Amino acid sequence: MIRLKEISLIQLFCLVALSQVGVRVLTMPYEESRESGYDAWISVLLGGVIAQVIILIIYRLGKRFADRPLPEYIYAITGRPLGLLINVLFAVYCVESSLLVVVSYSDVINRWVLITTPWFVIIGVTVIVAAYIASSSLQSLTAVTQTIMFMFFICFIFVFISGMGKGDLRHLLPIGTHGITAILKDTLPAFWAYAGYELLLYVFPFVKCKRKRDILITMSLANGFTTFFYVMISIIVLYNFSENQLNSIPEPMLYILRQFHWPVVQSIDILFMTIWLSVTIVTVFVYLFLAARYLAFTGGKEIRNHPVLIWILAAICFAVGVLGSDRQWIFQFASFHNTASIIIIAIVPTILLLVAMARGKREAG
Amino acid sequence: MRELFSNSSDFKSSDVEAGHLCYRLFYFDTMIEYGVVQDHIIQPLLHHPNDSVREAVSVLDYIETDLLSEALQALITGKTVVQKEGEATLYLLGTELKKERSINIPVNERVLRGSNEALIENLSTNLNLLRKLIATPDLVVKYYYAGEKSNTKIAMLYLRSLANEDVLEEMEQRIERIELDYVEAPGFLMELIQDHKFSLFPQILVTERPDRVRSYLVDGKIAILTDGSPDCMIVPVSFWAFFQSPDDYQIGWLIGSTVRFLRIACFIFAISLPGAYVALVTFDPRVLPFGIALTLQSSMQYIAMPPVLEAIVMLLTLEILREATVRLPSSIGHAIGIVGGIVIGTVVVQSNLISNMMVIVVSFTAIASFIIPSYEMSSAARILTYPIILMAAIFGLIGLEFSFLVVLTHLARIHTLGIPYFYAWKNIETIKDTLFRGPIRSLKNRPKENKKRTRSSKGWTK
Repeated sequence: MIRLKEISLIQLFCLVALSQVGVRVLTMPYEESRESGYDAWISVLLGGVIAQVIILIIYRLGKRFADRPLPEYIYAITGRPLGLLINVLFAVYCVESSLLVVVSYSDVINRWVLITTPWFVIIGVTVIVAAYIASSSLQSLTAVTQTIMFMFFICFIFVFISGMGKGDLRHLLPIGTHGITAILKDTLPAFWAYAGYELLLYVFPFVKCKRKRDILITMSLANGFTTFFYVMISIIVLYNFSENQLNSIPEPMLYILRQFHWPVVQSIDILFMTIWLSVTIVTVFVYLFLAARYLAFTGGKEIRNHPVLIWILAAICFAVGVLGSDRQWIFQFASFHNTASIIIIAIVPTILLLVAMARGKREAG
Repeated sequence: MRELFSNSSDFKSSDVEAGHLCYRLFYFDTMIEYGVVQDHIIQPLLHHPNDSVREAVSVLDYIETDLLSEALQALITGKTVVQKEGEATLYLLGTELKKERSINIPVNERVLRGSNEALIENLSTNLNLLRKLIATPDLVVKYYYAGEKSNTKIAMLYLRSLANEDVLEEMEQRIERIELDYVEAPGFLMELIQDHKFSLFPQILVTERPDRVRSYLVDGKIAILTDGSPDCMIVPVSFWAFFQSPDDYQIGWLIGSTVRFLRIACFIFAISLPGAYVALVTFDPRVLPFGIALTLQSSMQYIAMPPVLEAIVMLLTLEILREATVRLPSSIGHAIGIVGGIVIGTVVVQSNLISNMMVIVVSFTAIASFIIPSYEMSSAARILTYPIILMAAIFGLIGLEFSFLVVLTHLARIHTLGIPYFYAWKNIETIKDTLFRGPIRSLKNRPKENKKRTRSSKGWTK
């Protein structure tokens, strides 16, 4: 039986911000600059704005059913069979997210840090640790996340200081020459980078606050924080590399870190990746946790054995992850998942909200 | 009665003839205070043959009973049983001989400032010390008995207006659920009442300082004392309580905070330093600056053992030394220090068995683990070191990161009596007296464990 307790607003902030940032930081403006080149940072910024709009939608939805998480109230909106389908869809989506993050990060680790370690070992350890964290209660999970926030700040400082290196401001100029369509096209790959706020669908009723407005404010702050971080990274990268260089460097951030020598630390990129692992794993375990919770409500009544569900899902993740050692496969998977994210976390909640408004479903009382 | 105790040579009975009446006294002569029996029982009985026992005897602890079992229990604890001839009533009179250690300075919890009293083995003396420190009618003491054979006396102390009722109830149930012949206090008790049996981390704070017990009591916690042990248990405590020392509150808050932060940092060092060293020299010497990497290289040049083995062997040696110094009589203990420090330290390095860098790392780890005020917590830190070294040896820095996450999660999952063990950063309020020790003016509210929100013990009315 899992003890569902409340989490504070600060904890919500940490949870959301850290679920949002993850592997994509390493590759940050690479995919966003395919079309828009050195205007990629505008695309990234727009991605944050889109995320903000969806947060509003999710918040409105959550406010209608303020005492229950999505997997429970879904039946009130769509009825039984459809609700079941959506729950399963969400669960699959969450497992997929976990898997994608695990696979992408393991790929990075395998190429940069643990070069000789077998693929399945890295995947295995990552999944086991993430599953162990995810099998605890929401409250314990957030306590862990909060501590990881410190690691995040360390990385933040690393990035910030290293980025002030040998760049050229002219790489960023002239602003906006790629045209608005190119910039908008590149916000789509940025969409998945911002994913993570949809956990509000589940945690909304567990947040302890005086006014419901505070949840929205906290969410927006967290999203703003992430947006700021992403835009900063994009600008730092664009400042350091020219457009031609960018096209051939898939992980620009790591190269910047590698060039930079601190007096105490020789190659900061390895250190950064090690610490960043904890930030990445937040995304993994949060999604695993959510997947298990969505699945828990698919039966007739709530499945109480949370840890067992988690370990089953983790086993699935591991099995698929071991197969996915091929980089090309990872790329395909990532682009597929990006599309899936748009459908699941943008379109589905919007439709749900519209339906709920149309049917006038509200909480009794 | 005679039959029951006939094997014991120290069981005595004597008859007192007072006029026409005859009293019989039963007692263990090893357990009674002779003076009391002579002056306050036998003499009055002789001088006032016509009065009843109650009127004659001038003993405070006076019980009448018809039950033999009760009388037996009383005999064992050192009471004298008086029987009037021809009556079934037994008079149990308190004549216990009190032999106890004098109150001296705390051995295991030294402080620079603050009181120099330590608890002793006698429960009533301990309660006396605590009652004197907390002179308020609010203080409640409840007795429990555990163990069929040992009949260990347990006292639970709390302040009625502050302690959390749910926690109290839960504690009571747990103590009453104990079904054992023999309860070794406080060790057994600790194991039986804590939530997570398989956790390395201590969930009950043990202290021998009355002033410390007081500070926790006024925070709304519960103290548990047992007869025969100078240790007092405090529940429910959080992870951070093990890093607090009374000294923090005696010196200024800035210094106190610094020192406390140092302790917590040392806990992290003690756990992870050997692991970090192993990870760096085996996997990522690239991370280190060039000069340092060269130094390491030169120190490890002729060493045959891999760093993992080096670290584990060296830590084990240290552990053996530590145990030896604890067990040996103090006169030989110093010699062990010399053997350990000089002989092992220098010879091992000179003979190229262990690199000198490793000796430095391990010594630093050991010192860092000794800085933690709670012995249980520092043991936990020392044991945790080994798995982390192994993880670091297999996965390098990544392994270190993973072990860090696992330990953190484990801490976050522990609940003591339904209260989270590790809740430091929930809000500003909780940071004040956990990671740091905030200024007294800001310590307005009691710790979160206590649901009754009132002004704190530090009693600032602003």
